[in-house]
Amino acid sequence: MSGVRQFRAAVIIGYMLSITWLRRNLLSLVWLFATPLSLLFIITVTTGGRSFTLGVIGSLLLVLSTVGTGLAGDATWYRLETKLQDFFVASPVNQLGYLLGIAFAGLFFASPALVVLLPLLVYVGLPLLSLPVVLLSLAGVWLFSSAIGYLVSTFTSNLRNGWQSGLLLSVLVGILPPVFYQAEILPHNILLIAYAIPTTHAALLIRASMGTAPTLPYWSPLTGWLLIAASLAIALAVTSRVARWRQP
Amino acid sequence: MDRVWKDLTLSAIEAVSLSKIYHRSKTQALSEITLTIRRGEIFTLLGRNGAGKTTFLRIAATQLMPTKGQISVLGHDARDEPLEIRTKIAVVPQEGSTIGPLTPWDHIYLTLLARGMPRNDACKRAEKTIEQLELTEYRNQPADSLSGGLRQRVRVAMAVATDADLIFLDEPTLGLDAVSRRGIWGVLSEIQKEGRSILLTTHYIDEAEILSSNVAIIDHGKLVLSGSPSELLRNVEERVRVDIVGSTFSPEELSNYGRVVKLAERFRVLTDDQRGRQLADEAIRRGTDVALARVSLEDLFVDLVGKDDE
Repeated sequence: MSGVRQFRAAVIIGYMLSITWLRRNLLSLVWLFATPLSLLFIITVTTGGRSFTLGVIGSLLLVLSTVGTGLAGDATWYRLETKLQDFFVASPVNQLGYLLGIAFAGLFFASPALVVLLPLLVYVGLPLLSLPVVLLSLAGVWLFSSAIGYLVSTFTSNLRNGWQSGLLLSVLVGILPPVFYQAEILPHNILLIAYAIPTTHAALLIRASMGTAPTLPYWSPLTGWLLIAASLAIALAVTSRVARWRQP
Repeated sequence: MDRVWKDLTLSAIEAVSLSKIYHRSKTQALSEITLTIRRGEIFTLLGRNGAGKTTFLRIAATQLMPTKGQISVLGHDARDEPLEIRTKIAVVPQEGSTIGPLTPWDHIYLTLLARGMPRNDACKRAEKTIEQLELTEYRNQPADSLSGGLRQRVRVAMAVATDADLIFLDEPTLGLDAVSRRGIWGVLSEIQKEGRSILLTTHYIDEAEILSSNVAIIDHGKLVLSGSPSELLRNVEERVRVDIVGSTFSPEELSNYGRVVKLAERFRVLTDDQRGRQLADEAIRRGTDVALARVSLEDLFVDLVGKDDE
């Protein structure tokens, strides 16, 4: 199948595994809100509202990184329990089409949260003209997290480990990096480690587009974009070479 | 030219000295299997759990790499040309499940679209398959509200609805009741009449006997026997079986008539026509319950692969 057909297949797989589900299962609409909005609430209350903007940025990034890293569990379920992966391996859909499909499913699951959080970000000061910048950085985080989540799933031998890996990755990508708090408070060495995670750069880029980016060593919006692009390229390259589509 | 030749090849699957070792568990799952499956036939792999049936099917369906040997599927090398094969095959994996709240219609129609089928064709094929597999009544019900048997029919429908030339079904009737099994047999026969090929694995010997043009018996990763069910039975020496219920005969006495197998409360004697009839007559004379029948594929299967349990 051509690239266009693979993309069409990905959208259909995404629709199949999310929208059809959401239509009949309202709990799925709200579960993704739970952790980011709880953190937003705690951060807002404990800082007397001063970190509300950071909380919104962090929530957005956490939602998108969670649906991506969550593929470690979801894709394990599709592979081991429903055998959907086996079904698609023996079909014209290729690995990238399938990965994009299950990533779309995560994105569609996240859409209710995005519908709430993006307008909130505009409300707290994001210029509308900067919205494409934000969407692009969010897309980078979503694709990076999805590639990593899927990669891990192909090596996971049981479902429980799949969910556990997803949660662990979600903490590493969406909570520990400076997305809910200011990067400038991190000690120098730890800041350098945080630079290895694309959510750090996405948070800084969103802050930059709102005019609140700090001055940090070795960091500028350009290096932020380059590092997001590089980590995404590496994640996709490693996934396409290493992930187990056809079992060895 | 090469492509045309490949598409016209008479074999659906051709395996030569195919072996598979799972390195992690160091298990030899297949050992030097040589097998030809013709186009347009239903071919069944029979074997006990862990015999290697699923491993063979997964290698042929390009889901698993072989360790050694060659295998071509629809004229293409399964090791090096998986993409060419994947456009022409569909598979029902073993022991999968349906997806939560998706309806049978969603499962069939959306997977056809994902495989690249145009919308109108997908719609028509989904409708036809839903009727064929008697799912009309449940068409719009969430799969998680359906019985296990109905869910299995939905999974079979996902592969059957495709336009694939070769369909792989890994134990498609496992857990189904007798009526549902017969329903699926009917659908598979229709697919065969369309000129498509089917590779089936099953535990059910009657299924293999009724459906298949040819069967292969695999045990501990090795090919034990292959051929049409009638060919296989024609070549056995013990052509009849006599079941004796009760204790009017001792095992020693029965062994004078043929090979004795103990089955729960009865003895089964496998023997030739003449001695079988003699034993049956003697049993009737003594007033013992007796049943005389031709040996079945099941007898042959148990004889070939059941030795470990004796």
